[in-house]
Amino acid sequence: MDTLWNLRAGEVCEIVGYDDALAEPYRVRLMEFGFHAGEAVTCLHAPAFGAPKVYRVSDTVYSLDDEVAAHVRVRRNV
Amino acid sequence: MSRVLLVGSPNSGKSLLFNRLTGLSHKVANFPGITVDVSSGPIRALRELELVDFPGTYSLQPISGEERVAVEQFESALRDANVGQVVCLIDATRLEKSLYLTLQVIRECQRHGKPVTVLANMIDVLDKHGMTLDAEGLAQSLQAPVLPVSARSGKGVDTAIAQLRANHDRRESAPREQFIDTPDELLRGTAHQLARRYGPRGDVLVQSQTALDTFFLHSVTGGFAFLLIMYLLFQSIFTWAAPAMDAVEALLGWSAGLIVPLLGNDLARDFTTDALFGGIGAFLVFVPQIFVLTFVIGLLEDSGYMARAALICHKPLRLFGLTGKSFIPMLSGVACAIPGIYAARAIDSPRKRLLTYMAIPLMPCSARLPVYTLLIAAFIPSGTALGGLVGWQGLAMFGIYFFGMLCGLLVTGLVSRTSPDHYTDLPFVLELPPYRLPGLLPILRNSWNRSKHFVTKAGKIIFTVTVVIWVLGYFPNFGADLGASWLGQLGRLIEPLFTPIGLDWRYGVAIFTSFLAREVFVGTLGTIFGIEGADENVVPLVDHIQASGLAIGSGLALLVFFAIALQCVSTLAILARESASRSFTLKLAFGYFALAYAAALLVYQLAGLFS
Repeated sequence: MDTLWNLRAGEVCEIVGYDDALAEPYRVRLMEFGFHAGEAVTCLHAPAFGAPKVYRVSDTVYSLDDEVAAHVRVRRNV
Repeated sequence: MSRVLLVGSPNSGKSLLFNRLTGLSHKVANFPGITVDVSSGPIRALRELELVDFPGTYSLQPISGEERVAVEQFESALRDANVGQVVCLIDATRLEKSLYLTLQVIRECQRHGKPVTVLANMIDVLDKHGMTLDAEGLAQSLQAPVLPVSARSGKGVDTAIAQLRANHDRRESAPREQFIDTPDELLRGTAHQLARRYGPRGDVLVQSQTALDTFFLHSVTGGFAFLLIMYLLFQSIFTWAAPAMDAVEALLGWSAGLIVPLLGNDLARDFTTDALFGGIGAFLVFVPQIFVLTFVIGLLEDSGYMARAALICHKPLRLFGLTGKSFIPMLSGVACAIPGIYAARAIDSPRKRLLTYMAIPLMPCSARLPVYTLLIAAFIPSGTALGGLVGWQGLAMFGIYFFGMLCGLLVTGLVSRTSPDHYTDLPFVLELPPYRLPGLLPILRNSWNRSKHFVTKAGKIIFTVTVVIWVLGYFPNFGADLGASWLGQLGRLIEPLFTPIGLDWRYGVAIFTSFLAREVFVGTLGTIFGIEGADENVVPLVDHIQASGLAIGSGLALLVFFAIALQCVSTLAILARESASRSFTLKLAFGYFALAYAAALLVYQLAGLFS
């Protein structure tokens, strides 16, 4: 299954869910920010050297590192 | 006085609105156990109403201990009969993010019978881009008035004040129960739907933000911009604050010059000059640095760049248990630990903030420089290598600076791996706010508050310790001979502690007094060796140290000791305040002393093997 972290700059995906390894509080915070199942997310920037990537969800822009984004399951090309 | 609670998510413009409504007339208090400020002050146009500015939060569902305290304080305030109404500020340009919290706030207010007014901020930004918000439709769905405002331009603020007055005059609100039993999961979905239905259409704002991010997050241009901005920040601490620091010292010197000649005897004169003015100067001299750094960091935060800087630094710092937001406090710590500790307030994760507190005292602050200069001049040969390209003393200075930074990172890396505590941690999910011109007044207000906080809270401790050490060094022979003073006797008492690293009581006394500030080590040694002005010209002192036969191993051990030991009462005082934990501060002080001592002992023993 693809994850949010696998996205490259400019790619769009739809959130499918979270994997169990993501701690519950983190999951809650992500959902508060709009990262819930069915939501479209765009990867705006994927900086070099493994730095956190920049995603747009709804009307807001967030940066997520791989510790979080790698646990968000997505489907590409929505 | 009836109270109005002001709540909203971070970056919604709450501080700006608070200032506009109260006219900067406010007071600041700290919640017990956490480090967030709660400002309050009367509303200018409604003096009978006091506005209470709560910390920005994304939701009322806390995920860390610190958030829990803030939410509990909000819920407790709702039960307070003096709280008459609540203002919930939302960001009209990013509606969905704000609406979840708004719905939770409305639900809690419905449970407590408090009226809510929703202010949709940044309406000027929407106007500028030809975008609109359906405030009426949103108000009907929320069952609460939704008023478009601009905290920056003041647009709509009069209407908002009229609404607050009406709520106040009405005294009792009509009971509303629409959301009273709605669980958080449903509120999340409702926020999503309402944002889609009533929010502005189009993504011109995100597009303009993305264009700037393309520059600031690019691996080349972004890296260059980052280095330039950090250089300016660092310069601000050293260069911009320096004239003000000199002015503080000059003012104190001038005041002492006026007062001291009027005093009748030597004891009064010595006390006034060294203990009283010395004690006041010991903390006042830091104020310009704290003010300037808080101001510059405020500019970076308000402009939106701080979040980008945190993103750039996050990956390497994460290896050591830190976050990208730790970088600026640590960089500030290279100038002085105190503004660095204050700067760590920007770190939202309590765990990462605590780890940053641990790293900051190990950054090679400017107060260590005179100590390093003295010891390197005394023990490292002044020769060069590689055809003059590398000077041994310069290399030693670089080495000891690097050693301090490395120690800070290794300590946090070790602690973060050996003490997993996810309850006080937060994920790295960082909102990247839109770029905007900073609002100068709130930033100046915050800088002033921070400086005032330092003077009123830490100043007392620093002053007291300064006076105590002065008394120990002055009596019983009235300053005639430091070696024969109580401080000298204390030095002999603790001499066995320093004998294993080849140091006698004189160095013990100098280490003890350096607790006031590290550079005092140089001045104290100068006094003991009978050299005037050793803190300004170290050459005679270097000669005396070399002539005293102190082993090179002891000199190197001292260097390592000062790189690690937390020898600064000002740092400890402000650390205890900011961490809200004396226990943490004491453990850190003793822990770093033990580590410094062990490392110094190791260096001394190793040096003994080669000599």
